[in-house]
Amino acid sequence: MNKTFGVLAALATTSLAASVALADGSESIADTRTIGYVTTDLHWAFHQTQDVDKDCPEGLAGYGPRETFKELYPNGGPVEKTQLARESLKFFPRDEPMKFPYIYAKGTLGVGVNLDGKVGPDDYVSATGEQGIDNALQKVLGCNAQFRRPEGQLQLFGNKFVRTSTWNRTLIEITNVDSLSRSDNVEVTIYRGRDPVLLDATGEGVAPGGTQRIDMRWGKPIIQHLKGKIVDGVLTTEPIKQGIYPWAIYNDVPTLLNWRDMRLKLTLTPERADGLIAGYMDVESYYTWLIAWSTHHLSYGRLDPAEFYWALRKMADAYPNEQGEMTAISSALEVNMVQAFISHPEPIAGERKMTDAMH
Amino acid sequence: MQSIQTRRSRYSRLLGGTFWMGVTSALVLGIAGCANYMTDQPAAEAQPAADLGPTDVTSVPRARFMTAQQYANMIADVFGSDIQIGTPIPPLMRSPDGLLSTSAGSVGIPGGQLMQLQRTAATVAHQVVDKGDIGKELPAHRSYLVPCKPKAENAPDDACAAKFIRSTGRLLFRRSLDDAQVAEWVGKAREGTERLKDFYAGLAGVLEGMLIDPMVLLIVDTTEPDPTRPGQLRLDAYSLASRLSFFLWNSVPNDAVLKAAESGEIQTPAGRARVVEMMLASPRLEHGVRAFFDDMLHYDLFDSLAKDGMVYSRESGAVLKDAREQTLRTAYDHLIVRNRDYRALFTTRDTFMSPALASVYNVPAVPGWAPYSFPEDSPRKGILNHVSFLALHSHPGRSSPTLRGKALRETLLCQVVPPPPPNVDFSAVEDPDANLHTARERLTAHRSNPVCAGCHKITDPIGLALENFDGAGQYRVSEGGVTIDASGSLDGKQFNDPQGLADALHDHPGLPTCLVKRMYGYGVGALTTDVDKPQLAWLNQRFEASGYRVPDLLRAIALSPAFGNVAERPAAPKPAIKTTSLTAPGSVAR
Repeated sequence: MNKTFGVLAALATTSLAASVALADGSESIADTRTIGYVTTDLHWAFHQTQDVDKDCPEGLAGYGPRETFKELYPNGGPVEKTQLARESLKFFPRDEPMKFPYIYAKGTLGVGVNLDGKVGPDDYVSATGEQGIDNALQKVLGCNAQFRRPEGQLQLFGNKFVRTSTWNRTLIEITNVDSLSRSDNVEVTIYRGRDPVLLDATGEGVAPGGTQRIDMRWGKPIIQHLKGKIVDGVLTTEPIKQGIYPWAIYNDVPTLLNWRDMRLKLTLTPERADGLIAGYMDVESYYTWLIAWSTHHLSYGRLDPAEFYWALRKMADAYPNEQGEMTAISSALEVNMVQAFISHPEPIAGERKMTDAMH
Repeated sequence: MQSIQTRRSRYSRLLGGTFWMGVTSALVLGIAGCANYMTDQPAAEAQPAADLGPTDVTSVPRARFMTAQQYANMIADVFGSDIQIGTPIPPLMRSPDGLLSTSAGSVGIPGGQLMQLQRTAATVAHQVVDKGDIGKELPAHRSYLVPCKPKAENAPDDACAAKFIRSTGRLLFRRSLDDAQVAEWVGKAREGTERLKDFYAGLAGVLEGMLIDPMVLLIVDTTEPDPTRPGQLRLDAYSLASRLSFFLWNSVPNDAVLKAAESGEIQTPAGRARVVEMMLASPRLEHGVRAFFDDMLHYDLFDSLAKDGMVYSRESGAVLKDAREQTLRTAYDHLIVRNRDYRALFTTRDTFMSPALASVYNVPAVPGWAPYSFPEDSPRKGILNHVSFLALHSHPGRSSPTLRGKALRETLLCQVVPPPPPNVDFSAVEDPDANLHTARERLTAHRSNPVCAGCHKITDPIGLALENFDGAGQYRVSEGGVTIDASGSLDGKQFNDPQGLADALHDHPGLPTCLVKRMYGYGVGALTTDVDKPQLAWLNQRFEASGYRVPDLLRAIALSPAFGNVAERPAAPKPAIKTTSLTAPGSVAR
């Protein structure tokens, strides 16, 4: 059978159900018991208001690469002892201790999830009053202009790459769904999609209803399975010990976010899924992920990499190593997704069934 | 009356190093056959077969301005699709019969447009003779579009120039150039080469001149005495070849068709039949069929169609572009590739799907265009339920049963819906009472005004059956929280949903007769009138007998005597072309 026609035939069998799914709400889920979404936007989950002074009474971060360099080398000097030395420190931040004042976000309101099930003195309270929100990363980056909405440049670029670059389509497929309002046992699988997202009529947003083929080759490392339930339209998954979520990948070089105890909390509709990815971010790999941005990008937000490294280490709050140093930091990403049809590859005759690599 | 030969010479004289300078012209084309333009063409001795249609029906000879798509097809067919042309020809105005193409015989060509045509001609000519650039991966077009190499690139080569002019000119002018014409163009090539010290630049100048020649840009029907009807005229062989080619291919005749014209074969019933079969079997038929349906379905409106992105976020420019493509693909596949009943185009569930379009239909897709069939229990069937029809005949932010009903009657049934009276009060639909949740409720309120009721009675019962599709063509079951009642009627036939409307339209006697009327008018480039009734009646008969197969209809039109027979010239013909010219100081025009 012609492969294209075969795929079409397979897709066609679910098309009406899918069509009705968007028109009639969750009823048609009874037929397919499946719904897929593609990630369109991610933002680090920090509580933020329009009032910068209120959010950050000490001001925004002031010591970026340019400011630290100017203060350290007011009269310049040999390149290897100034520029190269400082650049080298970006990759080997442990070589020198923190030297400059670092502005940590203060306040009591935070965005995230109560990861440890406890209410501690450093925890935040959510805007809806939930106690025990764990998000130490908010303290480290909440007062950095690069991470504030809407103009925070790293997020702006990262989400632009979702629309323009090839590696940035991250999908979730929810199966065993009774309804989008309530399902006691659902399975969530994370995939990498192969197809561009569909831009909407504004040219900037992403339209629901696109189709994404699963990348079973280069995307295999990120195929992950989570279990969860849907209550009152909110999907909550159990954490998985180690999780990966790709974001802000450019030049086709995968740079992955590595989480511990990663979980999802998403409000579902037939067209959208919005909520949080939360867990403990591995400090070393997160630092590597962030400094993959060029120094000039870090300069825009006055984020000196070496100083940031120590701030990150200072606020890390989980997974101590043998020396008792915390190696992971509680954090959350706000995630926005739109519905997408997820196209599974047809098994090739005679070939062993594909399995995901990690789980 | 200024002869075409005279005009050709005058245009040719404008050729030089800088060609057009400060020339503005206005051409007004009217009904004007150009009798005996090629009177040296031997008349074929043949009798039209009796079953090809009425022999006493004629069409009107015309000079038609080439459409933008015809110009693009001509350049692509003669030089290749990689030659860039821009947009030298603006859209036409739609004629009263609902077609754009039949208005091409009465257009004004302002001076600014001539300048645009000249600019395009220069660009095309430059590309045709360019020497390419390996670094930029640009091919050396001259190496295969110029059929010879000059002895020296910086000096004239009359023999090589003549070879190019004879072969290229034949395709562009749609007829063989005689020796005198070739010699005239060769002289211009020599003049250009000597001035510019570049053989190819000289050749480009000649090509530019050809591309702005009225006999290239205008599709002129030239006539000759019809030996089968003493005292009457018919299209000469070249004009018949062009008429067939623009009808079936929407482009210029190719070498094989021109050979049939040159030999006179095309004027014999058997010869014309052979040529028509060859044209129907050609891949170029797709261009012709798509162009016809693009015209008939008013798809030029897609060029200016915009939806409110805040209301219909999925309806991007890519979606609208693909919506147009989807229906044209469906029509060609259904009618030509599968040779199915025309009426079933309005009930078929088979279509094609693209990823962008699939988001509006809420169905999965595969990359690129792929065949797709809506399931049997899908609310969609037929091209009325395509996004193209539903979105095109809606408002930017809401659906419109009235526009949809009007479009169905006018484009598919050839009926005329009167425009709204000037004092109409639209407030019931545009600024509705919040208690009116659905279009049906709003239109019912609107129809309470007897001035409005008359027309809405003939449009709304059709359009309301499509209310399960919003202004973007997306399926819905409710509006404003109220379940949509999609019942309606079409000329006495009742139905309850969009599928019912599709079935009613399929069975409507006006559906096939409208296609016949439109297609015949499109083929001969003129509005159909009472004079054409016998021809249309015969075509309707043939169409029905064929099971409403469009290839058979195309064949019947192309082979019918009326397609090539022309009316006698008026006793006192009016001037066909009025030309005014203003020559700027310093112009080289002499």
